[in-house]
Amino acid sequence: MSSTIKKIKNLKELSTANDRFEGAHLLCPGCAHSIIVRELMNCTDDNLVISSNTGCLEVSTAVYPYTSWDTSWIHIGFENAATSITGAEAMHKARKRKGTLKDPDAPVKFVAFGGDGSTYDIGFQFLSGAVERGHDFTYICLDNEVYANTGGQRSSATPIGSSTTTSPAGRISYGEKKMKKDLVAIMAAHGAPYVAQMSPNKWKDMLKKMQTALATEGPVYLNAISACTTEWKFDPKDTIAVSDLATDSLVFPLYEIINGTELNITYRPKNVVPVKDYLGVQGRFKHLFRPEFAHILEEWQKNVDAQWEYLQRREEARV
Amino acid sequence: MVEKMDLQEVEVWDGNFAAAQALRQAQVDVVAAYPITPSTPIVEGYAKFLADGYVEGEFVMVESEHAAMSGCIGAAASGGRVATATSSQGFALMAEVLYQASGMRLPIVLTVVNRALASPLNVRGDHSDMYLGRDSGWIQMDAFNAQEAYDLTLMAFKIGENHSVRLPVMVHQDGFITSHTAQNINPMTDDDAYAFVGKFEPVSEMLDFSQPVTYGAQTEEDWHYEHKAKQHKAILDSRPFVDKVFEEFKKKTGREYKRVETYMMEDAEVAVIALGTTVETARLVAKIMREEEGIKAGVVAPRVFRPFPFDNVRDTFKNVKAIGCMDRSSPGGALGALFNEVSAAIYTGDNKPIITNYIYGLGGRDLTVESLKEIYRELALNAKSGKQNGKIQQFIGLRGPKLEYFE
Amino acid sequence: MRQSENPKFLGTEERLGWDEVSQATLLHSFNGEVENASFLKQEERDYAVTNSYTASVADWRIIKPIYNRDICIDCQFCWVFCPDTSIISRDKIMIGIDFDHCKGCGICVEVCPTNPKSLLMFDERKEIEEALEEWPAKKTDSEEE
Repeated sequence: MSSTIKKIKNLKELSTANDRFEGAHLLCPGCAHSIIVRELMNCTDDNLVISSNTGCLEVSTAVYPYTSWDTSWIHIGFENAATSITGAEAMHKARKRKGTLKDPDAPVKFVAFGGDGSTYDIGFQFLSGAVERGHDFTYICLDNEVYANTGGQRSSATPIGSSTTTSPAGRISYGEKKMKKDLVAIMAAHGAPYVAQMSPNKWKDMLKKMQTALATEGPVYLNAISACTTEWKFDPKDTIAVSDLATDSLVFPLYEIINGTELNITYRPKNVVPVKDYLGVQGRFKHLFRPEFAHILEEWQKNVDAQWEYLQRREEARV
Repeated sequence: MVEKMDLQEVEVWDGNFAAAQALRQAQVDVVAAYPITPSTPIVEGYAKFLADGYVEGEFVMVESEHAAMSGCIGAAASGGRVATATSSQGFALMAEVLYQASGMRLPIVLTVVNRALASPLNVRGDHSDMYLGRDSGWIQMDAFNAQEAYDLTLMAFKIGENHSVRLPVMVHQDGFITSHTAQNINPMTDDDAYAFVGKFEPVSEMLDFSQPVTYGAQTEEDWHYEHKAKQHKAILDSRPFVDKVFEEFKKKTGREYKRVETYMMEDAEVAVIALGTTVETARLVAKIMREEEGIKAGVVAPRVFRPFPFDNVRDTFKNVKAIGCMDRSSPGGALGALFNEVSAAIYTGDNKPIITNYIYGLGGRDLTVESLKEIYRELALNAKSGKQNGKIQQFIGLRGPKLEYFE
Repeated sequence: MRQSENPKFLGTEERLGWDEVSQATLLHSFNGEVENASFLKQEERDYAVTNSYTASVADWRIIKPIYNRDICIDCQFCWVFCPDTSIISRDKIMIGIDFDHCKGCGICVEVCPTNPKSLLMFDERKEIEEALEEWPAKKTDSEEE
């Protein structure tokens, strides 16, 4: 671990961090985005330069005349947070070499945030390029499986059976027809030294992954599940409870891949919960409980089981 | 420490290499670029200079032109000198980012090597890409030859980076005709060029951790209008500063630039206004028309066409009887951009010349001396008869039946 | 607890003219120079008027969490899971709620592990003293689901 990343033994120690993400932002009550962002900004005391794609996070934290960011932050457009942060990282390298930085020894970490829409879809090329070029930065995808900011359209991260405004469930349709894209595997295949999937309910696992990400030299991709009270349709107070169901049903397995080959599962639930318990608490899946769509629920469980099987085998094989 | 180049008093460079040399002499910190014909050699030049130790910086070879400008913005916001180059399709691809760059008031220099826009696909020089970016909020200058590409690129840094301006700047040059034609250049020495451009002075930069800053905030209907108004004011307020930089450049090199370039306009009765290499051809022809046919011909060119030199254009044409506005871009169902903007400026004056729109040179179609002679003769006829003798918009150099519109 | 006397609700700020707005919509987080905000507690920072910390979203709430210091064990779960940086914790001790920034989502109550909970949601208009007096007793095993 890089020496500038502070050691945190327990939650009480973490709580002594001084938040650099301020309240009175415009995110929905109960939004998981800010839980994740807060933890990222609290896991290190280093200076941060952060970029965001257009999306819920950006639109809620930098609406003139207010900013909720206590570190330098940039938003350009929908797709280019990865590229803008690599531009900043390149400038940092150039200025350090030339000796024109105000504080050349100050430790700094470059982090880009994007929603699933901007990461999996419109910003995919930009993320791919940035990771392929090997810049020293961390990309965190705040994955709520839908274009939440614009009212809930499907993205390539939307899972099967999900009712969205552009893949709505109806009398004859069960909603989204495809399983979600496995972006973590794609990023690992890029040769990124570290990729991981994390969830805010498991704050300790997430903390470890964030710190590893910041300490890793080179590009890092972190996929964070961000349960969305507004689009997944559950009560705002249940964000952590829904996230618990997500991780305990193995719909969102928590794992990491080091150097593209060493896969480690980082959370093994004591009691695995049936997938339909996770689906059942969300309004976006409620139509799946109609008798004519029972086969989709079955398919769901099968997919999750297969995914878990695949992860375990890959963990064992070390490929 | 960078290695300096010992340049000769006269070098033989094409427009691309001249621009690359300017990037080197300005000691650009970050170039984020994507290759596209015919601008590629500019960034290849920078990359080679970097590899040979003539410049210290970072060359980020991104995966598209959109990413190129996005990377440039991230780098510029981080407090350093940034530049890139593109053409045509790449310019079109980065169009949304151009607006973002100017809205974020970041000094970036973009050398545009003008090339036609598809479809059909074409790699030769015309101004359709230049015209696409007119409203993007960048300061835009046009070079008619390789020397000017070099000069204007150096000046672009000085203009855009000034704290009272803080706007991105484009330097245009004709694809292939300027970019790939080797010409005589009088370069400045490395020391003189860098001294002229000056050291980059960062302000509101993301790497000053003691003053964290938020770039790219969202503005709704209660704030957006004021910000855009302020931006418009900034680009218009840059005009005196551009004049100042031109003056300083003249003192250093003896080469004079004006926001509107005029040739033989003191007593001109007819004139053409054009951009790019056409200007030089027109100057040649204007001289011939005077000497051989007694036509008092002149040539005008908007050197800095954004911010549009409204007053200068109107004043330049105040005694002219017939004007040919030469637009090298597919007009898409309307009159050409130069025609529209020049006519608007002239309309506010007392002079009521006959103005004609000539569409020419699309996709790199050559504009010949003969064509220009025809144009001057027609303008002379218009001036003499006091009316438009053909239709208002005409296509020049087109095979097939004559194509003309609007009367 | 933190609650401004005259909260600055969003949208109530002065509407500047075009000549007064910041160039490029640039927003500064603090006034002057700050070494590194990581090393300063929120109350020690010189927030710029453009920092959302100075604004209030209290008017979003219809219910609010009330904190019971006597029961709390300072586990910090509510602190880590609050989306609005509205749980104030200093030196590993829970101080209270930031009512300028709390939106009343209720996550803090859900994640509180004590029995009875150390945070409970009440109607927005409830007086804190009253709420504390009405605090429920510990749930027995038969009452817990």
